[in-house]
Amino acid sequence: MNGIIEARNLSFGYSPQAQILDNITFDVQPGAFLSIAGPNGAGKTTLLNLLCGLLTPTAGSVHVDGRAVDSYSARKLAQKIAVVRQEYIPVFDFTVAEVVSMARTPYMAPFGFESRTDRDAVDEALAATDSARFARRPIANLSGGERQRVFIARALAQNTPIMLLDEPTSFLDIKHQAKIYDLLKKTQLEKGKTIVAVTHDINLAAQYCDQIFLLRGGQPTAQNTAGGGQPSDNYYIGKTSEILSVELIEKVFGVKVFAGRIGQERFFLPWGEFSKDKSQDNH
Amino acid sequence: MSKLWPVPLAILLCAGAGFLLHGAWQARRPNETASPTQADRIVSLAPNLTEILFALGLEQNVVAVSSDSDYPPVAAAKAKVGTFWQPNIEAIIASKPDLVMTLWFQQQEAVAESLRRLGYRVVTLRIQTIPELLSAIQQIGAATETADRADELVKSISNRIDHWRSAQHTIDPVKVLWVVQTEPLRVAGRNTFINELLELAGGENAIGPTLQQYPPISSEELLACRAEVIFQSAMNNQDISAQQKAAKAFWSKWPSLPAVQNDRIYVVEPDTVLRLGTRLCQGIELIARHLHADAWGQAANAK
Amino acid sequence: MADTLTARNLAKKVIVCLLVLLIAMGLCTLIGTQPISLQKVFAGPGELPGENVDYQILVGVRLPRIILAALVGAALASSGVVLQAILRNPLADPYILGISSGAGLGAIIAVLSGISWKLLGGSPISVFAFVGALGTVWLVWFIGRTAAGSQVTALLLAGVVVNAFFSAVIMFLTSIARSDQVLTTILWLMGNITEKAMSVLWLSAGCIVAGITALFAVSHRLNILTLGEEEAKGLGVNTARTKLVTFSIAAFITAIAVSLSGLIGFVGLIIPHGVRLVLGPDHRQLLPISAIIGGVFLVAADTIARIVVPPAQLPVGVITAIAGGPFFLVLLAKYSRKVSWLR
Repeated sequence: MNGIIEARNLSFGYSPQAQILDNITFDVQPGAFLSIAGPNGAGKTTLLNLLCGLLTPTAGSVHVDGRAVDSYSARKLAQKIAVVRQEYIPVFDFTVAEVVSMARTPYMAPFGFESRTDRDAVDEALAATDSARFARRPIANLSGGERQRVFIARALAQNTPIMLLDEPTSFLDIKHQAKIYDLLKKTQLEKGKTIVAVTHDINLAAQYCDQIFLLRGGQPTAQNTAGGGQPSDNYYIGKTSEILSVELIEKVFGVKVFAGRIGQERFFLPWGEFSKDKSQDNH
Repeated sequence: MSKLWPVPLAILLCAGAGFLLHGAWQARRPNETASPTQADRIVSLAPNLTEILFALGLEQNVVAVSSDSDYPPVAAAKAKVGTFWQPNIEAIIASKPDLVMTLWFQQQEAVAESLRRLGYRVVTLRIQTIPELLSAIQQIGAATETADRADELVKSISNRIDHWRSAQHTIDPVKVLWVVQTEPLRVAGRNTFINELLELAGGENAIGPTLQQYPPISSEELLACRAEVIFQSAMNNQDISAQQKAAKAFWSKWPSLPAVQNDRIYVVEPDTVLRLGTRLCQGIELIARHLHADAWGQAANAK
Repeated sequence: MADTLTARNLAKKVIVCLLVLLIAMGLCTLIGTQPISLQKVFAGPGELPGENVDYQILVGVRLPRIILAALVGAALASSGVVLQAILRNPLADPYILGISSGAGLGAIIAVLSGISWKLLGGSPISVFAFVGALGTVWLVWFIGRTAAGSQVTALLLAGVVVNAFFSAVIMFLTSIARSDQVLTTILWLMGNITEKAMSVLWLSAGCIVAGITALFAVSHRLNILTLGEEEAKGLGVNTARTKLVTFSIAAFITAIAVSLSGLIGFVGLIIPHGVRLVLGPDHRQLLPISAIIGGVFLVAADTIARIVVPPAQLPVGVITAIAGGPFFLVLLAKYSRKVSWLR
């Protein structure tokens, strides 16, 4: 169980004129919790889809545990990477238990009945996400937060060294945001999984993620070597505490922010026209 | 996944084997029909076939008929085995036939196939034109050991047809339109047996040759054809006069047609004309009487 | 704790349903326009054909029909399950991707051409309908794939276009056909169960049962497919291959069913729905149970079609439509709390 992701010279675009990602190289070490952040339309989801093999890069490659992603069969790859996307309601009303059991597909025999191991994995995942009490309920009957926990349970039951998540909490309230990220953090620490999450909220990234990949997107500009950044101009990767600085955030997101600190926690607030505190003291 | 394909494959192979075996077994089994000339219990699936059978004197042998076999009247009293379009195979089997007579139509063909497979003797006849009718009568005669009477019947019908045909030379043909449906307007074309009857009766189809046997025609074509007589087959056998009135009202839309101007629109009972059976000549006579009332009336009375 | 399906559970349900099917088939052989007695049937066929009327009717007429009805019902229901899963659309039916118009076109061409030779024991209409159905499906798949890489929407649109075009051709051909040919075509299009030779039944049964078994083997992946392309790939399913395989098998068994009995509607749409409402959407049980219930349904519908207007018989498609509609409404009302997207 490793969980190393290596991206080398990744480029992707739907046409030569519309390049979304250009020459991206980075590593994700086993057991890391990486956040992918950046402005809307920068290509975060595209990057995630490249990492899990759903999209094929126009240049460069992605390697998981030493092998190229496209050299894995779908089944083997699913034993390495579990993906959680934004919550949705399936067309047919499967129960929670059924949805989580689907995670065992990469391990199941042809006629597809769950073995003892599979059932145990499902039970464990349900317990870890505190979803056991809705095991028999149709997933459509749950609230958004409960549903998303079930999808994470599914990813856990898939028993993979790597978990990729695409904005897992963008439609949830702060309580559920905290719960989900607590869960992810626990999984990282207790199970040693590698977690890569596209985060829409940089404060969550600041709180939970050790490392951050800040994707700027758009046209490349002059080189910037601010704290720990790679020698490229459209993305920055490194420890969260170093990358998330006011200058870099303002440059990447194109908005003024002011940073705050409460004890060990840092947070950032956008500074718009109607912000109450206009002083520069709280930078 | 790969180790599962043997299962469906095995099933398919069994199916194929079973199919071939069955087919071979069916072919090897000797034709267990009763002696081919026995015809004590006949079932007829078409009204014209019923008429022919009765005309051949096989009244006692006919045990069941299709529900629209209503001539001769005693035929209507026989047991029924479904309609012409949908014969009921169970009823046919229940009447224990040793000979089943069908017409050459897809619906009847399916039933005929099933009956043949079950070992029954089935004779299928194609009666779409007058020569086919005559040939069918002879085939029926051969199948039921009434060949002599069949020949007689054929001869009598042929004679009368020749009589009509020779009389054609002496009379100017009348332009006739035979309407099978009013909405949309459809008529009998030139390559139908109705056309043959019309010509024998001294008429000429008002419309020219068409691709379809029963083409729909437009008002324009209708006016151009200048029909002098219009025939319409009655919907049913009741209340012909009411249907005649309705027809007259319908055709009054085209007052420029000679047929409408001279009030020569006739609703006729279809049984003798459309059935292509033994009463063929009556049908021709019916048409002729309408077409050339004066001339034929005298000639017919003279006979 | 979490009780998902087990093999044993499923086996129990399948056996119960099979028993229901066998009992239904048995009872329906005794129902028909001619009263027959079981005792007389056991006396055997007799030496001459037609001697034991009861035997002839039960074994020669009713049994082949009932077997055919069960097979066609099973094929259509299974195909409906597969198409609803692949297209992620509960309103899909086996005919949605062009099979109906393709088969109809084949049928009317066969009728118009007046060909009478047989192939593999199948009448010209059957053979042409089969070829028409498969050819059209291939055409739709090809168009959908060239247009937009087998995306579900592309397939559906291609199916609609092809259906429309072929229907127009059918209409044209119908307008120039003789009246008896028209009637034949229309009756065929409405769907009819008739007696077929045992050899044909044997071959069709083999193909259909093999097809359903193969579909059952991959029915687990159908569950995953309903989650959507991305999700399914993320769970290790080769979506393109699974869709192609299951769709091909479903199209094949539907084409066989249609060639044998015309276009019987409603079975492929309603039965999967009904079974799903009662047992849930897990395709490992939905597929086999739908197949069996489809067989029961069509056997019952055919029996009603045979006896309701003696001595004629209604096309079985009329009965499936009349029965299927209200039946579905009742199921929907009763189990609607289970189905959240109705709220």
